[in-house]
Amino acid sequence: MIKSKHKGFAENLLFALNIFIIFLLVFGSAIVIPQWLQPVGRLHPLILHFPIVVLIMAMMLEFFRFKDRFKTEKLYHDFTTYLWLTGAIFAAFTAIMGLFLSKEPGYEGGTLQWHKWLGVSVVFVSTIIYWCRSAGWYNVKTARWGAGVVVLSLVFAGHFGADLTHGDNFVLAPVWHPEKDLVPLDKALVYKDVIQPIFQSKCISCHNPDKTKGGLMLIDEKSILKGGKDGKLIVPGQPQISMLLQRIHLVEEDKKHMPPAGKPQLTPDEMDLLYLWVKENADFKKKVIALPAKDSLRMIASTYLKPAEETEEKYDFAAADDKLIKKLNNNYRVIYPYAKESPALGVNIYNKSTYRPKTLEELSAIKQQVVSLDVSKMPVKDAELKTIAQFENLHTLNLNFTDVTGSTLKDLASLKSLKMISLAGTPLNASAIKQISALKSLAKITLWDTGLTDAQLNELQAQNKKIEFIKSFKDDGKPIKLNVPQLKNTALVFAESMPLELSHPIKGVQIRYTTDGTDPDSIKSPVFKPGVAINKNTNIKVKAYKAGWLSSDVVQFSVFKSTYTPDSISFIKQPNPKYSADGAKSLIDKDLGGTNFGNSKWIGAQNNIEIYMQFNKPADVHNVTINCLRNLGSQIFLPIGIEVWGGTDINHLKLLSNVTPPAAKKDEPVITVGIDCKLNIAKPINCLKIIAKNIQTLPAWDPVKKGPEWVFMDEIFLN
Amino acid sequence: MEKDILEHRLNINRRRFLSRLSLGLGSIALGSLLIPDLFTGSGADSEADFIPGIPNFAPKAKRVIYLFQDGAPSQLESFDYKPKLREMMGQDLPPSVRGNQILTGMTANQAHFPLVGSFYDFKQYGESKAWVSDLFPHIGKIADDICIIRSMYTEAINHDPALTFFQTGAQQGNRPSMGSWVSYGLGSENQNLPAFTVLLSKGKGNGQGVYSKLWSNGFLDSIHQGVQFSSGENPVLYLNDQPGIDRRERRKMLDKLAELNDISYKEFGDPEISAKVQQYEMAYRMQAAVPEIMDVSKESDDIIKMYGPDCLVPGTYAANCLLARKLSENGVRFVQLYHQGWDQHNNLPQEMAGQAMDVDQASAALVTDLKQRGLLDETLVIWGGEFGRTNYSQGKLEKANYGRDHHPRCFSIWMAGGGIKPGIVYGESDEFGYNIVKDPVHVHDFHATILNQLGLDHKKLTFKSQGRRYRLTDVAGNVVKGILS
Repeated sequence: MIKSKHKGFAENLLFALNIFIIFLLVFGSAIVIPQWLQPVGRLHPLILHFPIVVLIMAMMLEFFRFKDRFKTEKLYHDFTTYLWLTGAIFAAFTAIMGLFLSKEPGYEGGTLQWHKWLGVSVVFVSTIIYWCRSAGWYNVKTARWGAGVVVLSLVFAGHFGADLTHGDNFVLAPVWHPEKDLVPLDKALVYKDVIQPIFQSKCISCHNPDKTKGGLMLIDEKSILKGGKDGKLIVPGQPQISMLLQRIHLVEEDKKHMPPAGKPQLTPDEMDLLYLWVKENADFKKKVIALPAKDSLRMIASTYLKPAEETEEKYDFAAADDKLIKKLNNNYRVIYPYAKESPALGVNIYNKSTYRPKTLEELSAIKQQVVSLDVSKMPVKDAELKTIAQFENLHTLNLNFTDVTGSTLKDLASLKSLKMISLAGTPLNASAIKQISALKSLAKITLWDTGLTDAQLNELQAQNKKIEFIKSFKDDGKPIKLNVPQLKNTALVFAESMPLELSHPIKGVQIRYTTDGTDPDSIKSPVFKPGVAINKNTNIKVKAYKAGWLSSDVVQFSVFKSTYTPDSISFIKQPNPKYSADGAKSLIDKDLGGTNFGNSKWIGAQNNIEIYMQFNKPADVHNVTINCLRNLGSQIFLPIGIEVWGGTDINHLKLLSNVTPPAAKKDEPVITVGIDCKLNIAKPINCLKIIAKNIQTLPAWDPVKKGPEWVFMDEIFLN
Repeated sequence: MEKDILEHRLNINRRRFLSRLSLGLGSIALGSLLIPDLFTGSGADSEADFIPGIPNFAPKAKRVIYLFQDGAPSQLESFDYKPKLREMMGQDLPPSVRGNQILTGMTANQAHFPLVGSFYDFKQYGESKAWVSDLFPHIGKIADDICIIRSMYTEAINHDPALTFFQTGAQQGNRPSMGSWVSYGLGSENQNLPAFTVLLSKGKGNGQGVYSKLWSNGFLDSIHQGVQFSSGENPVLYLNDQPGIDRRERRKMLDKLAELNDISYKEFGDPEISAKVQQYEMAYRMQAAVPEIMDVSKESDDIIKMYGPDCLVPGTYAANCLLARKLSENGVRFVQLYHQGWDQHNNLPQEMAGQAMDVDQASAALVTDLKQRGLLDETLVIWGGEFGRTNYSQGKLEKANYGRDHHPRCFSIWMAGGGIKPGIVYGESDEFGYNIVKDPVHVHDFHATILNQLGLDHKKLTFKSQGRRYRLTDVAGNVVKGILS
């Protein structure tokens, strides 16, 4: 070995560094690191990687140094020596920087101590061995032990260092979650089992006794109440002014936002929990169940303590064979898996006419797996409950509206998992229920529409407090109003007479009606019976009555007689193209338009509507009825005047009628009105001309105040 | 010599083995970088994660009845009690409350936004002390059976996109409806009825249309499409046999048709062919099952009083509620009702009273009826519209006459049964009823929660279409744990 100039310098440097480290360790508490030196300290996490790699390489070479093959290799020995020296110097520099860094605020506690002493021991041990390794007593054993000690110190110093920077369990956290014992809701404490876990997972890596960023620790009641260097962390009861809430609600870009950007952030639920906890006086002792049931904190916390999945049933029986399930499945017997990877099955049976006792018997091959069975409305007899009892793991059973009488309900007493049984619509009695009410697992029985009286149900409920008995719906006893009768006639326009067809959906209802425009009366007005015929334009008013019910509203139907139909009809003036229906013939097609003027049955115009009608044979018309619409909101007014002209042909017409309907008033409802025009005439005519005049001047109350208004008609009746 | 050859071979083998191993390991490593979930088995890409027809975990609810109030009923006259609005009647909505909320074209040009309190009074009901307006006395009576969510919010401000968003999880349309997803995820319980049915009714209030895209199967198999049951003579269109064809004839015809289809299946092996045969068979069975469902003549007087006498008038909301119970009872997974007429831009007090009259009693009756049959535990009932309404009046404010515009930021719905915590009120709006201050529930969260109750993980219920996997909840949604029992 040739001692080079450089090597000598390096060895001296290493010695000096060691002395400096000892100095730092001894007088550490008295030293203040000047600000300009702080960046040097902060380089510690960067530089530390060099000694780790270089020293490990050197230790490997040292380990095999005495092997026969390498014993005499000069290059091997020189290389090892230089590597060792370099590594030790790097280690020393790193340790010094680390000691500088540890003087900055935020680093203290056990982990730091371990890191510090292991780190400097790496420096010392590697330096000492460096000087001893040429001595005569240094042999294979010492070489290997020494190398081992240095590597181990390196690994552990590195590990504790990483804990300081990244927090506990940084490496394995994504894949390894220490099994936490889920605290049952009834035992959980608000602080210990809800709030502290949030701090633990999101805050504590920087706010613990080892790394006290901002002078704040979040480990226990004392440290939390103490706060940090910026003051108190929480003001119990006042989340608005508590620094904890202020900091977590800052935008993430804000330097003071906690947790700092890039670290795992709080979820909205966690933020809510912290808010609510502080709002509810930041209690450290309270139990979760001591909070009211509707308390938000309790509600969110309960989802934490007992995740939804935890409430799932766990089944320990084996799954049934897929082929078998497929074979048993058919259109009226549906077998469905409860969930993926669950062996449990549900069965629904449909179609009364195909149901046989063997429909259930055939399921014995999957008797273990069926946990839910729905046979409602099937003709299931008492004897078949024995078959049902074979489904040993059944928890839900629907027997609504079956033929079960309850005498054999005790057969079901062997179903130890049965939670819910529905028996609505079956003729049960109280003693039947007693056969199964002792079942420990049973939580709910549906007993609507059974033979049980209210008193019996109340008694059952009193005897079996843990079971919820679902009774029938009770109205408040007040009579209910009937709905209005319906007119079943499809055509409302007739030529000579029409049979009146009134009906009501509820059985036993009495329908009374009037044709004189008065409201029907429960005594005087006639009761409707099939066979009543109408033979003129009539407004029929109808009302329904039934004992025990309030009578219905009055409903009005208008039917129209139209004796004559002209052979041709045409507009003198075309109406608005948007509202011209199927042309002028729509006015005599006997199809009424209701009140919806946009349905292509109405003729509408913003000026007068003028029409010619012609008859091949003279017609003895005495009355013209024009069905018009009023819808003030849509600016549709009744005509202000109607003129009817008649004669033998177009050129010989006389004014036969001039009608002025009453003027519109503000806020009048939407209505269709048949306007009658009596013709002042003695003999039959061949031609009619009708003019419906649109309103000229807008009334002052018109909501739109912008003309012109509209006039609409859908049908003309001639009698 | 032989030994050398053997050695040589071994060398080659070993070398090859090692080089292949390294290549193989390399590609596994690369693969795990590109697809993070490759080895955990929890990624959406592992096919075994979701098998159509089998829930991911044990379901709380087996069926859903969705009472959709189409047009958006006002939360301020129903379930969100805001006495402050009455106090401040006529004063302008403070701009700080409105924030950056965009308005519809209908009120954007209003010079003032006069606050308006509910015309109707509120009362507290049940042990839960939930506030419900006087328009809904029957729903008030079941307050302890339902969970009122006062903090729903959505992204759309107009009916069509908002409705489409609620029904399909996307505003644009062409995606599968929620009922279709459920049908795809859980399959049919009763092989004799469709898994997803739709019932329509219409109130007298200002209405908005509903259209079949809302119950479309989108890219899912057409078997998952919603089947509309109408009130007329043929509840299901094209289901009845033509006059002159009896059941036996139909059976014979289907058998022959199946033979022909079988030949064609053997030739082409297209699974659509056997799917078609199955659909014919299902239609045949439906011919028997549907008339039984539609027949309400056997319902007792108590039931009729409970739902209200209108339940016997086909096409009314009450009749649809009764029908929904019957369908659900018979294993229909998803019954979707729409009641139109809730769009009260003006004349709100009067129109809303009419609408409430239509739905109040029957909605409450449905919940009670399911409960007394022991079915409420496994049936999830949902009541709500596509968004809420503004706390200020649209148009002129009069004491007994005002309107409310669309408001997506905050509105109320309720749910019952199916593992939802009964008797609670979830979420909170500010004192103006304009913004949510606690526990917001987005439409995606709502969907995730419903699927969760049905035993479906909304992140795993996917379908691959046009090169990517789709979910009902798109890329969002959190199960609302606070409302689960």
